[in-house]
Amino acid sequence: MAVCVAVIAKENYPLYIRSVPTENELKFHYMVHTSLDVVDEKISAMGKALVDQRELYLGLLYPTEDYKKRYGYVTNSKVKFVMVVDSSNTALRDNEIRSMFRKLHNSYTDVMCNPFYNPGDRIQSSRAFDSMVTSMMIQVC
Amino acid sequence: MSVPDYMQCAEDHQTLLVVVQPVGVVSEENFFRIYKRICSVSQISVRDSQRVLYIRYRHHYPPENNEWGDFQTHRKVVGLVTITDCCSAKDWPQTFEKFHMQKEIYGSTLYDSRLFVFGLQGEIAEQPRTDVAFYPSYEACPGVEKRIEDFIESLFIVLESKRLDRATDKSGDKVPLLCVPFEKKDFVGLDTDSRHYKKRCQGRMRKHVGDLCLQAGMLQDSLVHYHMAVELLRAVNDFLWLGGPAALEGLCSASVIYHYPGGTGGKNGARRCQGGSLPAEATNRHRPGAQEVLIDPGALTTNGINPDTSAEIGRAKNCLSPEDIIEKYKEAISYYGKYKNAGVIELEACVKAVRVLAIQKRSMEASEFLQNAVYINLRQLSEEEKIQRYSVLSELYELIGFRRKSAFFKRVAAMQCVAPSIAEPGWRACYKLLLETLPGYSLSLDPQDFSKGTHRGWAAVQMRLLHELVYASRRMGNPALSVRHLSFLLQTMLDFLSDQEKKDVTQSLESYTSKCPGTMELITLPDGLSLPPVPLTKLPIVRHVKLLNLPASLRPQKMKSLLGQNVSAKSPFIYSPIIAHSRGEERSKKIDFQWVQGDVCEVQLMVYNPMPFELRVENMGLLTSGVEFESLPAALSLPAESGLYPVTLVGVPQTTGTISVNGYHTTVFGVFSDCLLDNLPGIKNNGSTVEVIPALPRLQISTSLPRSAHSLQPASGDEVSTHVSVQLFNGETQQLVIKLENIGVEPLEKLEVTSKVLTSKEKLYGDFLSWKLEEALAQFPLQPGQVATLTVNIQVKLDFSCQENLLQDLSDDGISVSGFPLCSPFRQVVRPRVESKASNPPEGSKPGDPSHTKVLEAILNFKYSGGPGHVEGYYRDLSLGLRVEVEPSVFFTRVSTLPATSTRQCHLLLDVFNSTEHELSLSARGNEELILHAGECQRMAIQVDKFNFESFPESPGEKGQFASPKQLEEQRQEARGLEINSKLGIRWRIPSLKRTGEASVEGVLNQLALEHLQLAPLQWDVLVDGQPCDCEAAACQVGDPMRLEVRLTNRSPRSVGPFALTVVPFQDHQNGVHNYDLHSAVSFVGSSTFYLDAVQPAGQSACLGALLFLYTGDFFLHVRVHEDSTSKELPPSWFCLPSVHVRALEGQA
Repeated sequence: MAVCVAVIAKENYPLYIRSVPTENELKFHYMVHTSLDVVDEKISAMGKALVDQRELYLGLLYPTEDYKKRYGYVTNSKVKFVMVVDSSNTALRDNEIRSMFRKLHNSYTDVMCNPFYNPGDRIQSSRAFDSMVTSMMIQVC
Repeated sequence: MSVPDYMQCAEDHQTLLVVVQPVGVVSEENFFRIYKRICSVSQISVRDSQRVLYIRYRHHYPPENNEWGDFQTHRKVVGLVTITDCCSAKDWPQTFEKFHMQKEIYGSTLYDSRLFVFGLQGEIAEQPRTDVAFYPSYEACPGVEKRIEDFIESLFIVLESKRLDRATDKSGDKVPLLCVPFEKKDFVGLDTDSRHYKKRCQGRMRKHVGDLCLQAGMLQDSLVHYHMAVELLRAVNDFLWLGGPAALEGLCSASVIYHYPGGTGGKNGARRCQGGSLPAEATNRHRPGAQEVLIDPGALTTNGINPDTSAEIGRAKNCLSPEDIIEKYKEAISYYGKYKNAGVIELEACVKAVRVLAIQKRSMEASEFLQNAVYINLRQLSEEEKIQRYSVLSELYELIGFRRKSAFFKRVAAMQCVAPSIAEPGWRACYKLLLETLPGYSLSLDPQDFSKGTHRGWAAVQMRLLHELVYASRRMGNPALSVRHLSFLLQTMLDFLSDQEKKDVTQSLESYTSKCPGTMELITLPDGLSLPPVPLTKLPIVRHVKLLNLPASLRPQKMKSLLGQNVSAKSPFIYSPIIAHSRGEERSKKIDFQWVQGDVCEVQLMVYNPMPFELRVENMGLLTSGVEFESLPAALSLPAESGLYPVTLVGVPQTTGTISVNGYHTTVFGVFSDCLLDNLPGIKNNGSTVEVIPALPRLQISTSLPRSAHSLQPASGDEVSTHVSVQLFNGETQQLVIKLENIGVEPLEKLEVTSKVLTSKEKLYGDFLSWKLEEALAQFPLQPGQVATLTVNIQVKLDFSCQENLLQDLSDDGISVSGFPLCSPFRQVVRPRVESKASNPPEGSKPGDPSHTKVLEAILNFKYSGGPGHVEGYYRDLSLGLRVEVEPSVFFTRVSTLPATSTRQCHLLLDVFNSTEHELSLSARGNEELILHAGECQRMAIQVDKFNFESFPESPGEKGQFASPKQLEEQRQEARGLEINSKLGIRWRIPSLKRTGEASVEGVLNQLALEHLQLAPLQWDVLVDGQPCDCEAAACQVGDPMRLEVRLTNRSPRSVGPFALTVVPFQDHQNGVHNYDLHSAVSFVGSSTFYLDAVQPAGQSACLGALLFLYTGDFFLHVRVHEDSTSKELPPSWFCLPSVHVRALEGQA
């Protein structure tokens, strides 16, 4: 299942990042950070497409990387979601990833709706969001 | 083939490889100087054809790579240039021998070689040799380039001959099999006669010819050959190169060269352009019209040497489209991937493909190629090669715009430099590489970039990088650098550090700075990068900066010039909105108070400590400009995560002018920081520019009276430095001795004293404070340290009577004096009316208060000046607060008058009340003393002459000018009060306390009493038998007519009259009964009623009549005045005619 979930602001700094093996968190930071290159590239390629027809799901960012796969998703406000998925779990299909991202997006929208949340701040105190991410991390395992 | 050349690009396929090497002892400097000159000859147009020859120079080339030369001819060393140093002819044979040995290394592939000898002169040098050139020195070698050109031309001749040889050699006899090193053993024992083998040979040869064509500058031909090779090799499944990829790659290269004449290997692009074939702007641009150009026969330059370039193969078809290039590259790489030993080739192919894709701006596909390259497993790489590999990967990622990936690999390379397996870690290289990763992590080392707005970039990875920079710079042995990085980390990442990290970072910072304190200087690295200073503005965080005014007593004031200060000289208008606007802007920066040269000035900062531990800030001082300023640094210790904490920084301006406070400096953890206010985010600042005026003296005052804990009413608006208080009985006078000491450094030249009474709800009579300034001024100018004295008399005269409720009506007519609205113009200024009204109710409730003490407060203002500040027109204002508690002594509860027997006198009846707790004696002028016990009330009668108020001089003219009639009247009354008071001269004495004072009647005198006390302007004199009859009883004889004359003297300023006077006789029975029925006892001679016509001012008039008493007895005559209705307004007291007492006696006859 997902081993790392990250929400990245429009200006490319992390709003939220959580990974399952917490002891090597920095590794995931690097992983997500470098994958932003691809996200940027894909966004700029999509820029030509019409905005409303745009597919938010970016698909697989890096096809081959030790045993992890990274998927990207970008909202209309250029907030990016990156998920690192353990590829040993082959049962995961594209559609499932897609629905996970959609869930993540909905949850993020809820966070944004919180009048006490300052857009651009780190997502720190949202229990609902936290539990949703947790559920995604253990879902299938 | 084991050493990959990461710098390879597609264009390299068309180049000839020439190795330039030193032989013997050649200094690196000299070698590279010549090498550079040689390299400049990279492109040669071969004469008599339009073909262009490209040369690739290497100063180092592994011979095993050379062995792949048959596979791709650009890998083959075809030329060797040796550079050597030879000083004497003796060494020459030896040197030449070495050259030959060098040639042996690449001997199998060399077309030609050259030896450049430097330093040798003499006969050997004279010998003309083709392969050896002699130059006297490294400086004097003008012919190097020419030599190289010649050399290359000779190379070309060989190449061209080989090409022609191979191209035409298709007679079908025996085509030799070209193979790569690792293949050799595979072909042992293979049937060389089989068709399959032949095809393979042909295919490989075809490809080889293609390579040669490409090198020889025949692009079109090479394309054709490549196509043919591909077809041939595909048929025999010779995957490595026979099977296509080499050929495919060649095809790709040729196409790339055609499509992108600017070159793909960025660095070399410029060199190619230099050749002049295309303008610079054409580089890196895809040429969409390439295929059309191909078809145009006029544009073709092939010379038809090669019969195999059959015309039926469409030229346009030969050249691959950009998309095809990538496809072919993919195919080639997949073929290469089948051979373990071809890893380097595969890697290089990947690199080449990436470069092509980068130009096509297809980053995603390029990243896939790169990704593939990352996983190509070469043999065990040395650390150095790993570093090179990662650096190149980083560069390639950079090329396709993946700056994060690039930074990642660069960082990996940096870490590789200092891998634990390396014996001598290259910290310098590591640091340099780490610095290069900074842009990838969107990190700049300028703290200014972080001061505004939110944090940019990925804090976690940035922090990691900074930690690594710190560590690398420390291991490099540059502590200044590591301190700079560490303070940068602390400054910019403070929000992201955990408490433990904060502690760790600060601890290591402290340990570093103990060796090398952090400074505010720009650190410039050898490679030109400069690290701006990092002020630790967040340790502590400053929220508010406020320049403080001097304390009130030291505040300089500007003497009023002739023009008002606020009037701007620039504009003739009193008010203009435009000016007001600009002034407002100006004011926002400049603060409207002044500092004084030589005096300690203060700036208050509100700071807080964001750290989870106590923060020690040392050497905290102000940064100023404009004026020489001696800052007095402070050290402070802020508790952990303190709230806003006020800190006052002080300093002394040494010169005059305009000073602006730009910021502050601190030393925290051994790092010096200069924090400028402009750069601080979220700071509240109410201006930072202040004028400093010249020095002024300082005055200190001390008094004979005790200091008071009470401060004056806050509403007073003045700030008073010292307060003294004294307790006095009403009417008492006391002296206050004030010592004035100059405690400054400037002489005190001017002094002015003014006073201001604050509590004005009380009616105050007489002068409260009086002094003689002359005595003090006689000692001026007061040098520093000297003392002068000033004596001030305090006199209190208050009206206590109205406090008492028992005094409901003081006067006969019930008019309460206290109810009279009393307001002098002076008081109106000090206290607005509203306030006096508001204070009335408490006053009403006051009688309940047993003490009845009233408080008088006054401020003595000392305006003084001297020294240079005086010249500039400044003075200082020192205030002394004076609080006088007034206890009631005696007061008059009631006042009334009784007419005395004489109309010129009257009796003043005063009810005196002793409100003290002491026995008190009271004396009026000349009268005997009256002893009053505590709380006793007695009546006191004083006979006074009536006053002629009219004769008083009017109050000073200038006051009368702007006073209303009411105020005038009041003033007049005050003056009268004073007059009466001085006439009466009532003094009290408390023997037990030995205190004396005056008792004043001013407060209780009312209109009516005053009128009674006033000498009426109409003077009535009654004369009996020509004698004025005042108090004595006039005697007359029964039966004799008694002459009665009533004389009226008009002293009023207007005419009065007419009057009617009626004389009414009566007898007083002394029991309250007046008997008016005396018709039988008294008869009038003539009329009993007299008429008086108008009496002019200062005129006199008299009425004459006579009375006849028929019986003896005491009679009184009452003269009544009947007024005409026209003159009703005259007060009745004007008509108080004395009663005439007549005693009728028995006639003697």
